[in-house]
Amino acid sequence: MSYQQRNFTVLTECMQITCIVEKGQGDTIVKAAREAGAQGATVYYARGSGVRERLGLLGVAVEVEKEIVNIIVSHDQSDYVFERMYMAGQLDTPGKGFIYMTPLEKAATFIPGEVLDKIEGRA
Amino acid sequence: MKEIRFGDYLRANSVSQRQVSYNKLAPKPKDSKKVVLQKLQVSAKDIYRILAPYTSVRFMEQLKAVVPLAVYLVLFQILILRQGVTDSVIIGGGLFAVMVGLMLFMEGLKLGLMPFGESIGNILPVKSPLPIVLLIAFLLGVGVTFAEPAIGALKAAGQIVQVEKAPYLYAILNQYSDALVLVVGAGVGLAAILGTLRFVHNWSLKPLIYASLIPVLALTAYIGIFDPELAKMIGLAWDCGAVTTGPVTVPLVLSLGIGVASAVGKGDSSLSGFGIVTLASLFPILGALGLGVFISATVTPEQIIEAAQNVGNVSSVVPWYEQTPWVEVILAVRAIVPLVIFLFIVMKLVLREKIRNAFITSYGIVLAVVGMGLFNVGLTYGLAKLGDQSGSLVPAAFTQIAAVQDSPLYWYGVGLFLALLFAFFLGFGATLAEPALNALGMTVQNLTNGAFKKSMLMYAVSTGVAIGITIGVVKLIFDLQLMYILIPGYLFLILLTYLSTEEFVNVGWDSAGVTTGPVTVPLVLAMGLGFGNATGVIEGFGILSMASICPIISVLVMGLVVQKKAAKKAAKVEAQKAEASDLGTQATA
Repeated sequence: MSYQQRNFTVLTECMQITCIVEKGQGDTIVKAAREAGAQGATVYYARGSGVRERLGLLGVAVEVEKEIVNIIVSHDQSDYVFERMYMAGQLDTPGKGFIYMTPLEKAATFIPGEVLDKIEGRA
Repeated sequence: MKEIRFGDYLRANSVSQRQVSYNKLAPKPKDSKKVVLQKLQVSAKDIYRILAPYTSVRFMEQLKAVVPLAVYLVLFQILILRQGVTDSVIIGGGLFAVMVGLMLFMEGLKLGLMPFGESIGNILPVKSPLPIVLLIAFLLGVGVTFAEPAIGALKAAGQIVQVEKAPYLYAILNQYSDALVLVVGAGVGLAAILGTLRFVHNWSLKPLIYASLIPVLALTAYIGIFDPELAKMIGLAWDCGAVTTGPVTVPLVLSLGIGVASAVGKGDSSLSGFGIVTLASLFPILGALGLGVFISATVTPEQIIEAAQNVGNVSSVVPWYEQTPWVEVILAVRAIVPLVIFLFIVMKLVLREKIRNAFITSYGIVLAVVGMGLFNVGLTYGLAKLGDQSGSLVPAAFTQIAAVQDSPLYWYGVGLFLALLFAFFLGFGATLAEPALNALGMTVQNLTNGAFKKSMLMYAVSTGVAIGITIGVVKLIFDLQLMYILIPGYLFLILLTYLSTEEFVNVGWDSAGVTTGPVTVPLVLAMGLGFGNATGVIEGFGILSMASICPIISVLVMGLVVQKKAAKKAAKVEAQKAEASDLGTQATA
């Protein structure tokens, strides 16, 4: 009974940006994304391979351990945030990382009541 | 009329992205052929962008360890003692060599030696029976001791000792210096064996500590009471324990021990990492003391003095291999190559495993050798020189010294206080900056579920080291016998160990080992010797051993306090619960 009465709002038009960078670089990426308008970020650790193996001796300088930054943004801001993250991580340098974006079907989290009221024209 | 979302319009306008199909980039699927990707061509700008953060991070690590200490010493010298730094250019260059050398060495260690250690640790216990594993653990213990960078500091210290005053000490550090490293290595090897057995059988650390402390203390007391000539090397022997547990020994020996533990299926104890470090700092003391007894039984002090004077006469022309860059490089090769060959033989002959990434491994080994060579150069011209200089000037604060004009600079009491304050903050700052301490703090915090906070451990250990170095300086000023401080101290520690729980015993005893890194050890050793020479004391060793015992005491005492508090809190909660349930029963009644 009670759970039906609780306010449950689902967000649509969400995009997920995932950025894989060397360990220690995650905070730079998150900072750039937040400055570009992202509201939150999740960082987790992983181990990766790829360009490192093709760089020869220089590959030693590329950290095997990675940080994966996961960010959900709105469809409209997604390209801008994507670009800022790419630039902040210097991803145009070999071995620096990888970034991709996928559409999300739906998402849900805490949304302040007054924001909801405003959007739905109840205020 | 056609509707366009404003967001879509903005995207099209604000971002200029060129789209390329990944189909065009990726290799085409070919029938049953293995795809081999080409090596990448990298532009100069990209090389810079890759290398700049890589080197700067590693350089900064060493910078943080060296610069604050050096600045502290120099400022103290200029502001309090009002003396300029002599040879400042050479010392500056030497310190730079230390930083670059340590940076290269640590990276080489990570790339060249650690992979060996890890695969041997993982594979060996599965493939070989326990006696062979123990034999290899022993040999590894000996090998890593030779590769430890701080060991070079002992040899550098040998040049400062005066042969007439302490002939046995001089002999051990000069003619017998290789034998000294060997017995110290044997001590570490024995510790590796016992530590591995402890992993396998899940032994408690306490009986091991009692069993190894009693002979060490007994031998110290015997030498101190019956052989006053040999007693001058007690300080050196106890300092050896602090020197051995550095950045090579600890990870390599630990990786073997943990590998054995997981192969036997007992690797999940949260304490499995501890204990080896403790034993590895106790056994070498026994080895060094034993070597002293052996030397005193075979040679007389007169013979040593005579031999030393002969050497002094002969070596007026120094051959090329004993001149500065070469002697350090040769030392570095002699330190690392035997260890590499040993690891290689174990990999090939005992395990029959291939070496993966042979190219990067050999690059790492070259880096380690070059780094160690540079570090050795910097050790002689930077750390040892600076430490010696500060050490020999600090006594000018309270006593008369030929090198300093109008010394004593202050009243005796004030000067003494300043000198001790100097020693205290040197120990405190150097320890707090040690990266290994931070790691230990984290482990302890997790282990005790936050009861023993990280910062608490770090301050406990740093204060302990600071007090230890201060006591060491007091020992030098008043020319006390080290034995009379060490033996009561360790007897007190045995009592504390008996009272504490297993967890705190493990952590406390290991905290002594982590505090003595490759920068602190040479600096403190040289400082002590310079200090000792300036005040006219026979030998300046012993400061490091005091810096080892005091943090153990402070951590164990802190542990007991924390335990007591936790017990009190638990009792309080129990009492409240009991009260609440009393009320509850009353209410229902």
